[in-house]
Amino acid sequence: MSGAGAEKSLTGEAFMHMIKLKVNGHVQELGVKSHQTLLEVLRGPLELTGVKEGCGLGECGACTVLMDGKPVNSCLVLALEADGSEILTIEGLAQVGKLHYVQKAFVKEGAIQCGFCTPGMVMATVGLLQENPNSSQEEIKEGLRGNLCRCTGYVKIIKAVEAAVEMMREGEQT
Amino acid sequence: MTWKVIGKGLPKIDSISKVTGEAQYTVDLKLPGMLYGNIFRSPLPHAKIKSINTSKAEELQGVHAVITAKDVPLNKFSFFQWLADKTILCSDKVRYLGDEVAAVAAVDEETALEALSLIKVEYEPLPAVFDAEEAMKPGAPLIHDKEKNIGFHVERLFGDPDKAFEECDYICEDRYVTGQVSHCCLEVSNCIVKWDSSGRLTIWTNTQAPHTQRQEIARILGIPIRNVRIINSTMGGGFGSKLVIDMKLPIAAILSKKTGRPVRIENSRAEEFSTAKTRYGYTIYVKTGAKKDGRLWAREMKVIGDNGAYHDKGPATLNFSSMMFGTLYNIPNIRYEGNLVYTNKQMGTAFRGFGNPQIAFACETQIDVLANKTGMDPLELRLRNANQSDQMTFCGAEITSCGMKECMEAAARAIGWEEKRRGKGLRGVGLANMVHTGAGGRFYGYNAADAFIKLSDDGTVALITPAQDMGQGSHTVMAQIVAEELGVNLEDINVISNDTDLTPYDLGSWGSRTTFMNGNAVLDAARNTKKEIITVASEMLEANPDDIILEGGRVFVKGSSDQYSFSELADYAINKRGVPISGKGRFVDKLPSGYTIKEGFAKNIPTFAFGTQAAEVEIDEETGEVKVLKVVAAHETGTTINTLMAEGQIEGSVVQGIGYALMEGLTLKNGKVINDGFIDYKIPTFGDIPEIETILIETNDPHGPFGAKGIGEPGLVPTAPAIANAIFNAVGIMIKELPITPEKILKALKEKKGG
Ligand code: FES
Ligand code: FES
Repeated sequence: MSGAGAEKSLTGEAFMHMIKLKVNGHVQELGVKSHQTLLEVLRGPLELTGVKEGCGLGECGACTVLMDGKPVNSCLVLALEADGSEILTIEGLAQVGKLHYVQKAFVKEGAIQCGFCTPGMVMATVGLLQENPNSSQEEIKEGLRGNLCRCTGYVKIIKAVEAAVEMMREGEQT
Repeated sequence: MTWKVIGKGLPKIDSISKVTGEAQYTVDLKLPGMLYGNIFRSPLPHAKIKSINTSKAEELQGVHAVITAKDVPLNKFSFFQWLADKTILCSDKVRYLGDEVAAVAAVDEETALEALSLIKVEYEPLPAVFDAEEAMKPGAPLIHDKEKNIGFHVERLFGDPDKAFEECDYICEDRYVTGQVSHCCLEVSNCIVKWDSSGRLTIWTNTQAPHTQRQEIARILGIPIRNVRIINSTMGGGFGSKLVIDMKLPIAAILSKKTGRPVRIENSRAEEFSTAKTRYGYTIYVKTGAKKDGRLWAREMKVIGDNGAYHDKGPATLNFSSMMFGTLYNIPNIRYEGNLVYTNKQMGTAFRGFGNPQIAFACETQIDVLANKTGMDPLELRLRNANQSDQMTFCGAEITSCGMKECMEAAARAIGWEEKRRGKGLRGVGLANMVHTGAGGRFYGYNAADAFIKLSDDGTVALITPAQDMGQGSHTVMAQIVAEELGVNLEDINVISNDTDLTPYDLGSWGSRTTFMNGNAVLDAARNTKKEIITVASEMLEANPDDIILEGGRVFVKGSSDQYSFSELADYAINKRGVPISGKGRFVDKLPSGYTIKEGFAKNIPTFAFGTQAAEVEIDEETGEVKVLKVVAAHETGTTINTLMAEGQIEGSVVQGIGYALMEGLTLKNGKVINDGFIDYKIPTFGDIPEIETILIETNDPHGPFGAKGIGEPGLVPTAPAIANAIFNAVGIMIKELPITPEKILKALKEKKGG
């Protein structure tokens, strides 16, 4: 669905704007079109296909990344709006092969089936726990409401987030 | 029996790649020179095509090809070829809003979309019909060049229902309606197709049945099967939606042939909702009769299945419904009639449960109405009619292992049946039973699977199995079976399943069949590999083959400190003996004597899986809102291979079942789906889920691998009736149409008060 092919469109006004992003710790400068979304840029030219597209309309949360530390639906953010910001995608979460504790919790609790919602779900969880490290079950449900999963029935995802809260309490950091 | 790997709650073997974003799905793939295809779809539900003009689209810069019916083979196709009714692109008529009329391939998606907008088609609108019962009536608009819209008809009879109903003390008769619902896989249906210069087609797509799809592609394009290769990637969900090809595959193939470039076609989410195949909507008439003591004595069902505009898995779905209808309780007198009716709507297809959730909703809610009539407790009524192990039913089903009674008792206990049944305010509890196949079916006239194992020179194990993992975790189940049998660690097993050039032929991942069928084949392969390992090990250890133990990736003799790792063993086998180690496995599900597919009825099912769900709900009388407080799901697994994953299958199913019960349904206006996004087509979110308690009942199936049977689908089957029965218990109204929306509740409450 994301329309940013390797080849540029030969038609229409191809006004390119240069933007600067810091993505997963690396500064990237690139030309984007005014209507291009952050998701299209991440999955397209930046080839960060760990970021998923489930709807392209802000309705599923699969495309969640952290923008300046806050979870956003990257399909709703224009690339231009992201200019100058710092983006963390699922690819940048594990540090030198060591899984982030939220990732560990998802694996251990069996919170992953097809895994298509997982990158967005994990990033939304990281965002949620940064904001509220002691999230209760109700707060978890509320905080992740925008992220859909068709496979797991959410039960094990909630358990994973609770386990992550616990791990963090016990001082496990990445 | 104690096992090392079987029965444990182990994370799926692909979890790390999924949690890091490394896993590659078909939507993530890109090939050099790849073009973007898009499909021009009919804006009308039923019309004649008068003219098509594509010249403007062809002239657009960046467009490489535009195709219409004149560019494609006009072979008619269907999953069942004898019912073939659809061409790749429509030539003279469109039959639903979304029918494929033309297609383009361009350098990028924007250009492809722009090209679509330049295609001009003139139509002559025809009267359309959107309701299956309406479509059956004389005078209804005919959708195909046939005398009527009934595309398939089936009848089944066991015993003498007419006479039996006369002998009944209680009889209930009701009409139920279930609508079309969408699979909502998070990864949309998509493909890349490359037609190379040697005439070979390579297709990368998310599929549950690559081998049968390979045949379908060959059939529809009129090319030899050998020219088709299908490659799967990590899949973002299936649930039945990816068993039969849809037209984007042959369309992309033709576009690729025309352009000499690989072509990607991907549904938008709106296309996924409004044009992709759905669960079959059913209108169901059921009549159930019981004797004074609660013995179910006669049952009759008439199903009108909404086929949509073309055939797909409908006939099989209707047949499967009949088998489950006949088997759920052992009733001596049964009649079933199914009609599959064309409408001007998107087509139906397989969806987790395959016609069973529809009829379970009807059958199991009617049991509660019946219980109410007899004054019996619905649990008691069900227990009185429960199936048992080692039983041959009146309709010929051979029930091997059966935990129906245990499931009922466990679910009732966990929900607090005795106490909660009395009701408290606007709360109530209800339960429902289910039966489903735990091992696919013999619908092709046979049921078999193969597998291969090789011990690599580094001592790791490669397993080649055709079992497709769409997220349900079959790779992990297969790896666990190998790990248990060969005494190796799960990490040392590589599962390869994604390429029709490599994997043995298979019928696909459907009908909860992989654990049982592919699992048995894999177990056989592992046993054969083990034999070779033991031969080599006994030579290395200079020991009696019977004394060799395989454990922790090593071979040794009990009590001796001599031991070799699998890599040492592989090295010895290859370099000293010159014979590498491998094993082939096969499982052939033995057909009962005298069996035929047509007459086989419930004998088509190798083993049955039973289950019970109990739900507790609370009704808001002001808003009509139903809050599900708790669901207990007690299901038979035979033997649980992986507790974490079995629970996951059931939890996911239950939540899909809650969606089916209370919120999901495609809404049409003049044939157009108006809820074509997640905002309007609600699926359950974090906010909608109750406490879910899963109870796994082990019955040790005599033919399953380690005693296991499939658990992929059962969890969705009884959820909707359990919830409807709980609502009945809470406020005394039985809603007979899914989804049970607040409006329906309010209306029924009002009628109840008024009456
Ligand atoms: S893809 Fe962004 S919310 Fe669905
Ligand atoms: S695991 Fe498949 S959508 Fe969440």
